[in-house]
Amino acid sequence: MAKGKSRFKGSGAYIFAGILIGIIYLVNTFLVEGIYWSNTSVSQTTSTVMNSLNKINGQLSEINNDSISIAAGLKTDMESIVKDTNNRYANIIDAEHAFESVEGLSDTAIRRYNYAKNIISTYKQRLDAMGTGAVTSGNYEEMGYILKQDIYPMQITASEMLTSTIDIVSADTGKIMRKNTIRSYLLMTMMMIVAILGEIAVWIFAKKAKKARLELEEREKSLAEVDAKLKTTRQKASDLAIINVLTGMKNRYALDNDINDRLESGRFQIAVFDMDNFRSINDTYGYDFGDEYLAAVAEKLKEEFSEVAEIYNITGNEFCFVFNKNISESQAMGIAQNIQRVMSSPYEVLNLAVQLPCSGAVYHYLPGDCLNVNSLLVKLDTAMRNAKMNGGNMISTVMNI
Amino acid sequence: MNRNKRKGIFRAIASCTLSAMMLLSAGCGKPQNAGGPNGAQGGPPPKVAVITKQQLSFWDDVKKGAEDAGNELGVEVLYTVATSDNDYVSQVAAVKDAMLKGAKAIVIAPNSTTELNSVLGEAAEKGIKIVNINSKVSEFDQVETFIRSSDTDSGAVAARGVHKILEEKGADYEKLGKIAIIGHTASTAEERIQGFIGVLTSYASHNITRPKVTETDPDKLAEAEKAADEEYNSKLEKFSKNFIQGDRVAERDQARDEALKLLKTDGNGISIMFGTNTNTTLGICDAVSELKLDDKIIVVGFNSDEKELGYIRSGTLNGTVIQNPYVMGYVGVRYAQKLINGMTVPCDLDIGATFVNGSNMNDEYIQLLLYPDKN
Repeated sequence: MAKGKSRFKGSGAYIFAGILIGIIYLVNTFLVEGIYWSNTSVSQTTSTVMNSLNKINGQLSEINNDSISIAAGLKTDMESIVKDTNNRYANIIDAEHAFESVEGLSDTAIRRYNYAKNIISTYKQRLDAMGTGAVTSGNYEEMGYILKQDIYPMQITASEMLTSTIDIVSADTGKIMRKNTIRSYLLMTMMMIVAILGEIAVWIFAKKAKKARLELEEREKSLAEVDAKLKTTRQKASDLAIINVLTGMKNRYALDNDINDRLESGRFQIAVFDMDNFRSINDTYGYDFGDEYLAAVAEKLKEEFSEVAEIYNITGNEFCFVFNKNISESQAMGIAQNIQRVMSSPYEVLNLAVQLPCSGAVYHYLPGDCLNVNSLLVKLDTAMRNAKMNGGNMISTVMNI
Repeated sequence: MNRNKRKGIFRAIASCTLSAMMLLSAGCGKPQNAGGPNGAQGGPPPKVAVITKQQLSFWDDVKKGAEDAGNELGVEVLYTVATSDNDYVSQVAAVKDAMLKGAKAIVIAPNSTTELNSVLGEAAEKGIKIVNINSKVSEFDQVETFIRSSDTDSGAVAARGVHKILEEKGADYEKLGKIAIIGHTASTAEERIQGFIGVLTSYASHNITRPKVTETDPDKLAEAEKAADEEYNSKLEKFSKNFIQGDRVAERDQARDEALKLLKTDGNGISIMFGTNTNTTLGICDAVSELKLDDKIIVVGFNSDEKELGYIRSGTLNGTVIQNPYVMGYVGVRYAQKLINGMTVPCDLDIGATFVNGSNMNDEYIQLLLYPDKN
């Protein structure tokens, strides 16, 4: 059962187990019923046999008593004795029929009974012969011989054979009963084993199912982990593509991505700034210094303006500010002046305080002004270049044409 | 989860079924009580030793009866037969063997009335039940039961058989010739002879007529009565002298020789011959048929050897007394079993004897006695 069960997976196993238990239950019921009925019928048979044999034996013994009474001269009314004897013999015949109607007796029991029956019928013949012979002629001596030598031994032999038959039937009954008892114990044991095995099978199956589920969960979990890792990696990779490594600000591509969709219908303030003559820093102090300086400027810008604008480091020292939506045109202008002030304030880089002026351009972008980010930046750059050409350190505005 | 839910349902079904099975198996216990206390107890069947006298068909029938009882009643029968009817030595050995093998009872037909007493006493000390069959051991009081056909009565049955033949022939007891008896060497022979003579004499006393007294004179009446008594008594006296007995013999040849000695060549005035066992009966028949005296001499004997039945069919043997050795063996073992189980049995059981002759030997009952295994 356990094997059969574990072979099945999923709900099939449960249905199979259910059906199996049902069948076992039914078989068990039928077997128990069988044992019960077998015992009942054996009891009935035994009681019929006992009754009939005891009746024969009893009647036989009474006939014998009568015969002895005649021989001893105790009874003299022959007519009534003959009547009694005939009645008793009729009872014997009835009991014989009752016994013979019982089915399923063992051969030994029937053999022993036939022996008794044979003796009884000869006994009756001798009795009748005595009745017509010695008794009628009043020959008490002859009567004595017949009783002592023929009739009495026959009666006790018949009686022994009858009681033996009873013993045989009892022994047979005992055997069947014992067999049934053993059968019922076997059945009980079998059922217990089946039940225990079933329980064990259920337990093992449940355990296995639990294990499988845990394994699956484990796998899902690790899969999710891998997925997350992959996502992080991908994020990093894409971050690298849109972030300027030096300043940690978003780059040109990011800007492209961020505002490209807004060009057609968006309305926003945007500004660009860069140092005037930043090259002099690189030329004077070297590129490393220039990089440090830029980083410091960028850090400061993030600190000051990241709340009002998204800041991009679009080229070397050029920063682009996309102002938040709630920033108005005039506010943008104010902030731009602040940006210029912050950018052109002195920065201490590698123990050197350096200060560079900066120029910028502000653009009040209206929907549909530009077809793409590139042309937007060109507009801004052009405006900023104008400012620089006019001496720098100033903010120009992109003219809306 | 759907699976969890299904599992829960299955668990519930499983536990319900399990408890139902528990209930059911508890119910299994009930019917077996209905069996009642009948039947033998478990364990190996008790052993009963059956020890008989000698290798003869009579003892074969005892064995059959004992074995049938053993099979039917769940007893293991250990059967031993001695070599001859005075061989008590091998019977002593058999009793000892029975004790060794752990027999619970011994059914014995002793070949000696006293020689087995000490070994049987030893067995009885060990709690082994002693069942005595066929002939009695004397001076021994530990026999639980004695089962046999009374030998005196069996002799009487032979005498009744003879009387019936004489009656049919219309023979006159007064003119009856000699009645020759050849007995065998065992104690049973004497009892059979005693029964035979006693009952035949009794029949004679009824059949030999006392002379009728016709005297009318009252003075002479007493005298006449006395004379009649005397005549009657002398007739009986004469009848009792008819009985002659040969020497006790054991073998058939010896019996034949003894019979020939008694019969001489012409029958020697013998009209009835009686043999007390198989061998003496056969010896008598051998002699009678050898002398061709079959028609003149009434021969009655004992037992039902196939050769004896042959003599009945041929007419040499007029009748034979059969006991019921099968029942003796059967009841012997049955009583042994009862005693082992602590039940009481009669101290003395006479299973009777039957006279078999040519006219009744095919009766169903006689056939049952002659061929117990045909039943």
